[in-house]
Amino acid sequence: MKPLLIGVLLAGVLGAQTEVRHAIVLPSYKDLKYAPLPPINPPVPAEVTLSNGMKVFMLEDHELPLVSGTALIRTGNLFDPKGKIGLAGLTGDVLRAGGTTSKTGDQLDVELENIAASVESQIGESSGTLRFSCLKENTAQVLRVFKDLLTAPEFREDKLDLAKTQLRSEISRRNDDAHGIAEREFSDILYGRDNSYGWQMEYSDVDNIQRQDLLNFYRRYYFPANIQLEIYGDFSTAEMKATLEQLLGEWKYSQAPVPPFPKVPEKAEPGIFLATKTDVTQTFLDVGHLGGVLRDKDYPALEVAAEILGGSFSSRLFRNVRTEHGWAYSIGASWGAQYDHPGLFHISGSTQSAHTVDTLKAVRDELDRIRTSEVTDQELQTAKDTVLNGFVFNFDRPSKTLNRLIVYEYYGYPRDFIFQYQKAVAAVTKADVLRVAKQYFRPQDLSYIAVGNPKDFGTPLSALDLKISDIDLSIPEPKQETSQTDPASLEKGKDLLRRAQQSLGGSEKLAAVKDLQYQADVDVQTPGGPPMKVKQTNSFLMSGVLRQESELPFGKQSLYSDGKSGWLAGMQGVQNLPAAVLKQARGEMFRQILALSLSDRDPDRAVNYAGDGVLEISSKDGESVRLQVDEKTGVPLKLTYQEAGPQGPASIDLTYSDWREVAGVRLPFEWTVVQGGQKFAVVKIQDYKINSGLTQEALSKKP
Amino acid sequence: MKSPTVKLILLLVFPLALLAQSLSDFEKRVTEFTLGNGLHFIIFERHEAPVVSFHSYVNAGSVDDPSGETGIAHMFEHMAFKGTQTIGTKNYALERQAMDEAEHVYDRYDAERNKGLKADKAKLAELQQQLKAAMDKANSFVIPNAYPQLIEENGGVGMNAGTGEDSTNYFYNFPRNRLELWFLLESQRFYDPVFREFYKERDVVREERRMRVESSPQGGLVEALLATAFAAHPYRNMPGGWASDIDNFRLTEAIAFYKKYYVPANITISIAGDVDPKECRRLADKYFSILPSGPLPSGPRTVEPVQKGEKRVKVESPAQPFILVGYKRPDQNDKDDPVFDVLNEILSGERTGLFYTELVRDQKIALGAAAQASFPGGKYPNLFLLFLVPNRGHTVEENEKAAYQIIDRLKTDKVTDDTLNRIKTKVRASLVRRLDSNAGMAEALTFYHVNYGDWRKLFTGIDDIAKVTADDVQRVAKQYFVPETRTVVYTYAPARAAGEQKGQGQ
Repeated sequence: MKPLLIGVLLAGVLGAQTEVRHAIVLPSYKDLKYAPLPPINPPVPAEVTLSNGMKVFMLEDHELPLVSGTALIRTGNLFDPKGKIGLAGLTGDVLRAGGTTSKTGDQLDVELENIAASVESQIGESSGTLRFSCLKENTAQVLRVFKDLLTAPEFREDKLDLAKTQLRSEISRRNDDAHGIAEREFSDILYGRDNSYGWQMEYSDVDNIQRQDLLNFYRRYYFPANIQLEIYGDFSTAEMKATLEQLLGEWKYSQAPVPPFPKVPEKAEPGIFLATKTDVTQTFLDVGHLGGVLRDKDYPALEVAAEILGGSFSSRLFRNVRTEHGWAYSIGASWGAQYDHPGLFHISGSTQSAHTVDTLKAVRDELDRIRTSEVTDQELQTAKDTVLNGFVFNFDRPSKTLNRLIVYEYYGYPRDFIFQYQKAVAAVTKADVLRVAKQYFRPQDLSYIAVGNPKDFGTPLSALDLKISDIDLSIPEPKQETSQTDPASLEKGKDLLRRAQQSLGGSEKLAAVKDLQYQADVDVQTPGGPPMKVKQTNSFLMSGVLRQESELPFGKQSLYSDGKSGWLAGMQGVQNLPAAVLKQARGEMFRQILALSLSDRDPDRAVNYAGDGVLEISSKDGESVRLQVDEKTGVPLKLTYQEAGPQGPASIDLTYSDWREVAGVRLPFEWTVVQGGQKFAVVKIQDYKINSGLTQEALSKKP
Repeated sequence: MKSPTVKLILLLVFPLALLAQSLSDFEKRVTEFTLGNGLHFIIFERHEAPVVSFHSYVNAGSVDDPSGETGIAHMFEHMAFKGTQTIGTKNYALERQAMDEAEHVYDRYDAERNKGLKADKAKLAELQQQLKAAMDKANSFVIPNAYPQLIEENGGVGMNAGTGEDSTNYFYNFPRNRLELWFLLESQRFYDPVFREFYKERDVVREERRMRVESSPQGGLVEALLATAFAAHPYRNMPGGWASDIDNFRLTEAIAFYKKYYVPANITISIAGDVDPKECRRLADKYFSILPSGPLPSGPRTVEPVQKGEKRVKVESPAQPFILVGYKRPDQNDKDDPVFDVLNEILSGERTGLFYTELVRDQKIALGAAAQASFPGGKYPNLFLLFLVPNRGHTVEENEKAAYQIIDRLKTDKVTDDTLNRIKTKVRASLVRRLDSNAGMAEALTFYHVNYGDWRKLFTGIDDIAKVTADDVQRVAKQYFVPETRTVVYTYAPARAAGEQKGQGQ
């Protein structure tokens, strides 16, 4: 009996640990009865067509002293031309920022904010908008600004420059956030990178876009018959109608009807796509394939199926991956239908690196389960109730009815589409869910996008037995403008290079240099960090060998390369030269000023004249620099090139100074390095040694 | 194609406002009452549509996390969705017995583990096995996610909760015919939360931290800012807590937190929408009166000592650079609170704020630049925050310097009447716009009631802002925007990159 007694006592003590309250009988939700809601009686907006053909929808709401409006323009970045990706977005942005013919954008900023009003413009994937919002008493004033922006935007150059600067920064930052990378790559891979649904803006696109492009884009799409206008708030419909006619009626501009948006290429990209990010502890996962459109007859059943699969707290994926395994905070699924083109069936979430494969397997299992057996009555009921009981929230503000109407009108949907949807959801059966899951969820077509740190995955992705491709996150630099390679230009280039050789001591003396060694003090300004002093010894064999000894604040480092391979020795011991460092080492040899000046003797190098004293020197293996030479004296002034950095290529400017003679040739004793527009380092040479008898054997000796 | 976007982390809380004359109209639609146990209700009638928004504001947040248990307020917030003795279980009596047994095994496991180097590894492994079995048994009685499912299937939308430094908030919306269901569910989760699946949810909470902080360059930078700026006050911890604390949470600790801080007098609830206040009162009495009253807990006793000199921290990150600057400022009940709101507008108000017009538009050195009047919370002395995102090819130093030039000008030149008037107009209009949302109003009414003692501050705060003069702006800028109490954190590229590029001359 003793053990039992202890057991009872323990239970008593322990009971206080987990129980918050002793059980008393609480009212149960099962006993509650719910009165029906009043029938939904959506407001009916007024519709007019102005004399210029612009359709207007108006809905009064006098609850608050506010008026707002939206012009919906049939356009979109789906119409971006190849080579100028981003044109639509820029047009939308600069339409507002660039002001009107009578006022600059900056003047409008002050005028509008002085009265707590806003007018904003944007162009998204398949529509453009110009919106205003103001206090009732300022309606007339703000409508005038709205009209001017809609009908007479100026697209001032300075604001285009600003917008382009901003876009370049956004491009440079696009790989900073793993979650963002996963979402973007998911969409780009599923739609394909060769069309406007899936392609990505690059620096070269931004560079290519000029003011005239914006004007042309604007003129093509912004015309009355191509615009629907909606006005909402505290106004009188009759007065507003007269005001709009007076304000906009005279804008008679016309264009040919806008063509339909491009078709989505129907295809699948099955397999795993991996992007490596080392600064994360989670893997961001996006799994799916092309989906459908809202008008598909099976859309309501698919919504129910996706809801059960991963739409809510009570869904299968949420329960499995989050609640039962604790592998993820965020996990879910959506059918993702679009109005006019196939959307993306999309399962997404993020999990700690070590559970990447577990989570993907769970996703696969749940997809199989919903495709092979019927959902339970309870699941079906919950999913349907969630939609149907929350239906009233589609009507909780009159503005929602107006917004819906204008969107249905835009995409050619029936006006009662939402009620058709409600009815269809109510009719969905378990058999429907199984049928659509089988038919529309296609495991064999799934693309799995994973962004994370594969080093920490534990179980490798190969365990999933799918084709694995790496996603290349590098950001291409704009193509350097290459000048024409006509004979005259080539001749001019050679001529200028010869003058440079002269200034350095003459080609014969330069060619006589077999090896070169120098010691340098480098003052590095690390971005955002304190200055760093580095002592370096660089040894070159002109045949193509480099050794570099550096004393860094955190230790010594040696590097050796013969241009094909090499090693790196530091605190972590000796390792083979990583590809990125090898590329840098080759670049160093390529850009060595003596080697550079003899580029006309190297059959693997091309020398071109780019104008204004600039030589373009490139090698067959992809190195390329621009060397600026003083056209009068032949003295090399500045070297400009791209260097691969962790965030994509950075532009480097290197300026030479303090030229002195060493053993018959002239060499720069100081150079200044500017990276991405910021001073990066000053290099001071202590002494140069020429032909001191360096050998490859000696240079390749590991420390 | 999706346009590239840069997600800026700061949720800018703009000062609130409304036309003061409409306060009296508004008051007619507000009913307040306090239950015998101290729980306070604010009802806002809005009969435009048959829907209701609910907002429960618990005046306890991560600043109240005990030492070694950072993140426990947030952990409880997750447990508040786990159900009750009647919701979420197949057999509560058996479930509780199994939960108790699991805790018992966990105690023995902890006892062995706490021996450190002297712990018996074999015994530990065995206990771990036992623990897993005991937890599995307890979990076998669970009906997962029954509580949130009830909300969802009854048409609840916008269901969520959030834990901040100062408070924990629970909110969602129901069609009006589910009013009583809300009373039942909300009162029971605060009366009788069952901490089931605690250790699995602990893993979920840990994942949340991985997602928000560890895998986000901005999250990591904010964490560094707080840990640097605050030497002692718990504002130094992110609301999610530190990883090692989360990994070791015990169920008993969460219960202790709940018992101390979730007393009725520490909770304020607002209901906004198509409701009858008398009916609300009746239901409040019926459902919430059972919550036993308890003493109001005190806030953290630690007071942040005076900062002596600028603090600077750099955080290694391969991401493009960001910089955060925080100036120490007094709490939200200081007389200068509205002046900080005005300063915030001067610097980062939409298209006319100085950060936009100068750093972004004219100098083109920043992709984005913003301020926030109060960070990370307002109840205790906190930070006036600057957030700068350099443009490509521009550095954090350049941005920092340019931002200081603007800040310094606020100390030497008086802000113009035009600017002040513009800000005051905008603040008023923003309150009008805010009235358009039941959920927004429910949140605001609880926030102002708890933090300023009266929801009317939502309206009268406008008057406070209207009284701010150019002299005030200059005086406060001079007093608080000083290097001595400044904390600067920024990211920099890993040293490896600098080392590799050192010799790029030749």
